[in-house]
Amino acid sequence: MKERKDKVADEAFADKAKQLFDESVEGLDGETRSRLNRGRQAALNELTAGRSVWVQWAPAAGVAAAAVVAIVLWTGNPPVDELTPEASATDFEILLAEDSFEMLEDLEFYSWIDLDEDAEVAVEAEDIVG
Amino acid sequence: MNACVASFAVSCESGDRTGVRTLQREQELNRFLAEVEKRALRIAEISVRDRDEALDLVQDAMIKLARKYADRNSDEWTPLFYRILQNGVRDWHRRQAVRNRVLVWFGRPGNEDNDYDAIASAPDPGGRTPDEQLQSQEAMQTLEIAVGDLPARQREAFMLRTFEGLNVAGTATAMGCSEGSVKTHYSRAVHSLRESLGEHWQ
Repeated sequence: MKERKDKVADEAFADKAKQLFDESVEGLDGETRSRLNRGRQAALNELTAGRSVWVQWAPAAGVAAAAVVAIVLWTGNPPVDELTPEASATDFEILLAEDSFEMLEDLEFYSWIDLDEDAEVAVEAEDIVG
Repeated sequence: MNACVASFAVSCESGDRTGVRTLQREQELNRFLAEVEKRALRIAEISVRDRDEALDLVQDAMIKLARKYADRNSDEWTPLFYRILQNGVRDWHRRQAVRNRVLVWFGRPGNEDNDYDAIASAPDPGGRTPDEQLQSQEAMQTLEIAVGDLPARQREAFMLRTFEGLNVAGTATAMGCSEGSVKTHYSRAVHSLRESLGEHWQ
């Protein structure tokens, strides 16, 4: 019973203390409030200053990376249009050369010579062994 | 070329998202500090009995919270903030003790806590009759002096529980001790205050 009474009295005491404290907080003068505000702004500036360098420079880094890629793509590989005439000219020269046509006609002959050479090499090898 | 443009767009979008997130965090922290700063000042002022020193301590606590714990969940900010502030108050008392010892050694009286002028530093409440204001001011001044005279841990527990309204767990985090210790310190503080202030205060 006494404990319960004490608890009620403690709570009443705490309530009154809280009420007086809140009144004293509300009664803070303008200069003090202003100084608190300045302190808070200083803390928030700290938060902004604390942002990582990467995050701060991320947009600029993105632009720079994009520019580098663009330059590489623009200058690194010659345009396809410049290649095409050269290739076409070379192919044309090969096709127009008379030797090429003759070689194509005698393909069977060249194939027979190649097989004959292989056979001679095999016979020579057997003579050496024998 | 399309890939290049896409990577640039993603980079910008990512930067924007981070910027928005930081701005939201900043606004959230601003609201939290604006909500807590006045009570924190009064709590620090009761502890050190000097408004200028209390303002410095609160500002230091705000800066440290922003610097180290801004990325924490906002629910954790209150106990963390008061832990920083209480550590600052303890350091302040240690420095004062050393300073007083040095001053005594050089034959000059130290700056006693009794120099605190409760009337000069009293707040200026509004909206009540002069008699009511005077009664409230006197009651608060009496309470302030009594709370200031409590042992440090009891004072911390009482102010964090009663004035700031932290629960036992939050107070334990702020004080850096167990919940059982908080209950003991708080109970002793209330009994001690009721005894020293007397029945007429209530």
